Amino acid sequence: MRGYLAFLKKELMESTRTYKVFLMLVIFAVFGMMSPLIAKLTPQLIGSVVSAQMASAIPTPTAVDSWTQFYKNVAQMGLVILVIVFSGVLANELTKGTLVNVVTKGLSRALVIAAKLTSMALIWTVSLALAFAMAWIYTSYLFGADELPHLGVAVLLLWIFGLFVLSLLMCAASLSTNNYMILLITGAVLVIGLLAGILPPAYHYNPLSLASQNMPLITGAITLSDIGPAIAITVALTAGLVTGAILIFRRRLL
Amino acid sequence: MTVLEIDHIDKAFGAHKVLDAMTMEVPEHCVFGFVGQNGAGKTTTMKIALGLLKADHGVVRVCGEKVTYGNSTTNRHVGYLPDVPEFYGYMRPMEYLRLCGEITGLPRSQITARGSELLEMVGLAGVKRRIGGFSRGMKQRMGIAQALLNQPDLVICDEPTSALDPIGRKEVLDILASLRDRTTVVFSTHVLSDVERICDRVAILHRGTIALTGTIAEIKEQHRHHGFVVECATPSDLARLAAAEELGAAGISHTSQGTTMVVTITQTPTGDTRSMATDLAGVTGRNGLTRRPTIPPADPAPTPSPPDQFGGQLLLHALTRLNITPIRFEQMEPTLESLFTEVVR
Repeated sequence: MRGYLAFLKKELMESTRTYKVFLMLVIFAVFGMMSPLIAKLTPQLIGSVVSAQMASAIPTPTAVDSWTQFYKNVAQMGLVILVIVFSGVLANELTKGTLVNVVTKGLSRALVIAAKLTSMALIWTVSLALAFAMAWIYTSYLFGADELPHLGVAVLLLWIFGLFVLSLLMCAASLSTNNYMILLITGAVLVIGLLAGILPPAYHYNPLSLASQNMPLITGAITLSDIGPAIAITVALTAGLVTGAILIFRRRLL
Repeated sequence: MTVLEIDHIDKAFGAHKVLDAMTMEVPEHCVFGFVGQNGAGKTTTMKIALGLLKADHGVVRVCGEKVTYGNSTTNRHVGYLPDVPEFYGYMRPMEYLRLCGEITGLPRSQITARGSELLEMVGLAGVKRRIGGFSRGMKQRMGIAQALLNQPDLVICDEPTSALDPIGRKEVLDILASLRDRTTVVFSTHVLSDVERICDRVAILHRGTIALTGTIAEIKEQHRHHGFVVECATPSDLARLAAAEELGAAGISHTSQGTTMVVTITQTPTGDTRSMATDLAGVTGRNGLTRRPTIPPADPAPTPSPPDQFGGQLLLHALTRLNITPIRFEQMEPTLESLFTEVVR
């Protein structure tokens, strides 16, 4: 336990001193702030390039548009940035050989993986919370406090999906020391999920629904039970990927 | 007590067999030189002993406990210094030692006390810079500090001096030599002068097995080439010496170069040559003085005198008889280098 905490502290120190935390916080704060602003300014932007008659046809933006922007930014660009920032989490240590000292000092490899996942999850949680808080403050300021049910649940689903992506990344990282390979494996799995999304009924079971069905959930087009199986599958896959990462990493040469 | 025991270890990488029934024992409280050519398998052996590599066959024991691949509990007895130690560049020396100490489970107070003591010892006390900006030598010294933090029974160093400049090398060797009383040090190298400088024992790894092992004195004794080096002031002196009757005795051969002669004694004296030495002792010199015998006559129950003594006396006699005063007269010592070349040939 003490080894785990020591290594977690080291991971957080690393993320802070190599500016990863800073980068994540800034980008997610910008996403949170930008989404309501873009929604608010879109009619004006369009109005400046088309005729006044056409511009008047554009409906007045609402809080729903603001949150649509938010999920577009965070669930797409946000996750891409999360993966890129943390793609080297294990590869850097394996290529440099810094883990040799730590493991020969008696830290178990499972705890190395656990500490790294914890640190990434913490940073993801704080970043997402910051983005959500910014979006919520600006949305209520610009559009008034519309009562939108399931706002919290929707962001919670995105949070779970982020954890799934991180465990997928960790599993890929325990397989390869090449950054591009890790990105490729992670990307490939997500693309398979996207392709599965072409079949409409698949959304009930597709983990990607946790990052794509947020708006339908907020607007009430679907209910939480519609994607219940998808949530269960995502949680199960996350657990499986973490276990897989530990098992693979145990057999790895350092 | 045997700290490290390697028992018939086999290891192959694909078709390339690196270790072949390799067996080695390292006793307590010594500085053990582990010598071999580049690629001989030194690092492989060390990694197996640390549980970082899996041996195909055989057993390694550290302090009597079996080493297992992966999560080896024997590592709590071991401090390891990799050939090029890599640390987290964004950490300061004390921060790194604290991380290591917490992982090994040292109490907080001990981490601080031992940490500062070790940093003092390796000359990094008061260095507030991050490790990322350290020189090779500083990193190597930092590596020694982290290896010693948990007061290990065995310190394994993989070529600790190979990347260092002469001053850095001297510093690291001095630190390693000073550890003899506290722990056991195994260090691999291909620099033989380093071994001669600080090691008590040595093992030479060649073709996957230990070709030679023992204390340095033992090995040198076993592989002694009995012989002498004589350097005369002038080539004519040397020529006279070369023509001397004594050097024609059985089992004695010599080669000359310039004013230096190397005399090799390949045989222990037989009765004949012994008596010859005694006879020669009484030979009248050119200046007419009769030399007193300096070798006592053979004992009634003769014990064979060591070839060195015999050959040396014979040579000295020849020199005295011919009235030659050598500039240099020296018994040949086998160097580790000559032994190593002999073994790996």
